[in-house]
Amino acid sequence: MPFTRRTLLAAASTAALLVQPISAAAQDLPRNVRMVIGSTSTGGDTYQNSAIVADALAEHLGINIKVDAVGATEAFKALGRDSRGTTLMIFHDQSYLGNLYGVTGYDNPFESYTVGQTVAINPGNAYLVTCNSPYQSMEDILSAAEGGERVRVAIQPGGVSEVGFSAMKNAASVRAPGSEENIVAVNTGSQSDKNQAMWDDLADVINGSIQANEQFTQLPQDDQKCMRFVWITARAETLAQAPAEGMGNTTRDELLQYASPETSVTLDGEEDFTFDKEFFFLYNPNMDPAIIDQIDTALTAIFEAGEIQERQKASFFIPNFLPAEDARQHLMDKRDTYSKVIEQISGDS
Amino acid sequence: MEFLSLITPLFLALVVGGTFVGIIFGAIPGMTATMAVAVCLPLTYSLGLENGLALLLGLYVGGISGGLVPAVLLGIPGTPSSITTTFDGYPMAQRGEGEKALRIGITSSFIGGIISLFALYFFAPTLADFAIEFSYVEKFLIILFALTVMAALSKDMLMGIFSGFLGIFIALIGTYDISDGGNGKLRLIPPGTEYWLDSGFSLLPVLIGMFGLAAILDEAELGVPKGQSKEDVKIGSGSTFSFSVFKGQAVNLIRSSGIGTFVGILPGVGGSAASILAYSNAKTFSKTPENFGKGEPAGLIASESGNNGLTGGALVPLLSLGIPGDSTTALLIGAFTLQGIQMGPLFIGNNPDTWNAMIFAMLIANVAMFTMMYVAIRYFALVVTIPKHVLFPIILMMCVIGAYTINYGIMFDVWTLLIFGLFGWVAVKLRLEVAPFIIGFILGPSAEIYFVKSIESFGDLTIFFTKSWIAVILWVLIIGSLIASVYMSKRQRKLEARLL
Repeated sequence: MPFTRRTLLAAASTAALLVQPISAAAQDLPRNVRMVIGSTSTGGDTYQNSAIVADALAEHLGINIKVDAVGATEAFKALGRDSRGTTLMIFHDQSYLGNLYGVTGYDNPFESYTVGQTVAINPGNAYLVTCNSPYQSMEDILSAAEGGERVRVAIQPGGVSEVGFSAMKNAASVRAPGSEENIVAVNTGSQSDKNQAMWDDLADVINGSIQANEQFTQLPQDDQKCMRFVWITARAETLAQAPAEGMGNTTRDELLQYASPETSVTLDGEEDFTFDKEFFFLYNPNMDPAIIDQIDTALTAIFEAGEIQERQKASFFIPNFLPAEDARQHLMDKRDTYSKVIEQISGDS
Repeated sequence: MEFLSLITPLFLALVVGGTFVGIIFGAIPGMTATMAVAVCLPLTYSLGLENGLALLLGLYVGGISGGLVPAVLLGIPGTPSSITTTFDGYPMAQRGEGEKALRIGITSSFIGGIISLFALYFFAPTLADFAIEFSYVEKFLIILFALTVMAALSKDMLMGIFSGFLGIFIALIGTYDISDGGNGKLRLIPPGTEYWLDSGFSLLPVLIGMFGLAAILDEAELGVPKGQSKEDVKIGSGSTFSFSVFKGQAVNLIRSSGIGTFVGILPGVGGSAASILAYSNAKTFSKTPENFGKGEPAGLIASESGNNGLTGGALVPLLSLGIPGDSTTALLIGAFTLQGIQMGPLFIGNNPDTWNAMIFAMLIANVAMFTMMYVAIRYFALVVTIPKHVLFPIILMMCVIGAYTINYGIMFDVWTLLIFGLFGWVAVKLRLEVAPFIIGFILGPSAEIYFVKSIESFGDLTIFFTKSWIAVILWVLIIGSLIASVYMSKRQRKLEARLL
């Protein structure tokens, strides 16, 4: 058959007609979506969690979603530039904690962006000591600070890693005003740096995670690398949703011993401080709200189907879907709680 | 030997296919092993752990090795760790020994890869225990040792050292990142440019700008060259390759592979330091150091065995401590987490079959890399027969694509490529030296972090001399390297005076 211009035009029109229903299925979301995340690591929890959500969303809506690990600064820039819905962002509590701690590049996300749906919690945020440390529990650490001993805590400043440190100082202040001065930060970078700081005896306590540090807790006591959990910041109700076998050789029940109420780091003398690291969507503030509604509807259906929860739990995430409106209120309340702790500590020091 | 049940035809096909794709990525200026692994990481979901690792390890070995092709034939390092390969590989290619240089590079890469694999398999836990003896202080001294190569590489020592310090200064522009333990504050940024410069200049766009774009601008300045043929550029008409070139190089090969492996086991020191240190040592211990930088096979051997020695070394902390040794193994950890496999000091003991399958995959990848590249050399080498008016736009396009994709789509990285391409072109006219500049740029940020952290942690400068016996040994090496550089510079000047 000869290919005339008319034939080609007819073929193109037919193809366009065939494609139309597929495009229509995606409604307001473009067919190709870029999901930027606030981490540059593709081995970390932000990428892992975002990849699970992106996969499910892409399959459900029949669109393409590519997760790009560009890091917080570049992700916020990319989100700020694009109001078409082509760029979405997933990040965690660092997005507002960075702002509360005054880190460069972190605006108030509740003002500069539209905060959207929560999707999961990583319950792994933890603090550890060496096996031969004189401090075997949070009680030991707070007593030592009260007794005038200097306790050095290795953290990455300005976010999730620091909020638990701020809570430790706050608890010391509530317990014995002035003793918080004895809990001092050792500013480090990656998890590797924090581990190394403890092995070099530059830190007495390090911030870590169940996932990254659990195997170190299984080493023989006389191994220089041996570690011991002293505190897991997640709420007991959150941790209780983890698989019963826990992580590695540590069961969920054993992990619960290091979380509130078994391990207490007080917020105000009555309640314990807890922190769940939650992952949520962020949108350009000028993006069409219909897209947020579309994602709300899609995620509701995805979480009702139940398959995504299995994948999340297999990766030690706790499923935590909240529609955009509820999520925004929940995260603002959470931000206000931590804001008070940070202000209290800043005022003291 | 239960792991043998994991070695299926698919597993083998993935290792070999991954190595092939990795070589292609490494061979294209601007594309790297890290990028190849990042692109293929999502595929590991569906492949399963062992098959996914087979693919990624093939990409890793192929990507690191492929970088030598443009480094030798075009003078553009395909990956940051190939920078020292350009120093002697490119001059060899220019004098008609491109094919010979490629064969030397490939053989050295293979030997480096196998030696590091041996170290990984038999000594991983011991090496990991040794690695944790290196605190901020020792890591700073290793970086300082690598920086001494700036002096050794300089044609004019004063100008070379100035260029190196300029490289360090420019590398520090941006935020002192909290993820490196910094304070998150901006520094050295001209007012009004904060939006673009808050993350500083990325390494790869700077590298390909200074080596790739600057070379194109140089050629453009000379005018449109006549069409070239295989005979014009004499890719293989110089002295031909024979394994006898490795005669007397056993120590260089083993030392360079060992340095690569050793740098790999130290998290945070950076893969580029491996080949720089290996090259610097080869020059220091050579009887003819004045030939380095002019097409000396020993320099090429050191560089390539050093950067492939890194491949096994960087897996030591990953598999023994759960800590990645370089940027590519930082991506490999993703393959484990995506499959729900916990990394840490118990990984090898808890997953013996996966561990053995990984070692087997690395072995096959090295053999596949050697075979494929050795066979394909003639075809690779044909790239220099492409007329420059066709080749250069293609290289430029690949550089732009590479710069844009290296950080997942940041347009400022393309501007960085263009800015540093122009800078590289002008720099030579100002007698600035490109190699020391780039080495300063690569190593500067690590030097800063480890220096500041050492002072923050230990209080004063005396710690650099008193911290440990390792620190003392490193000072001996640093001083030895500086003395050797000064001696070599004087000898070079005398030789030149005699020739005049």
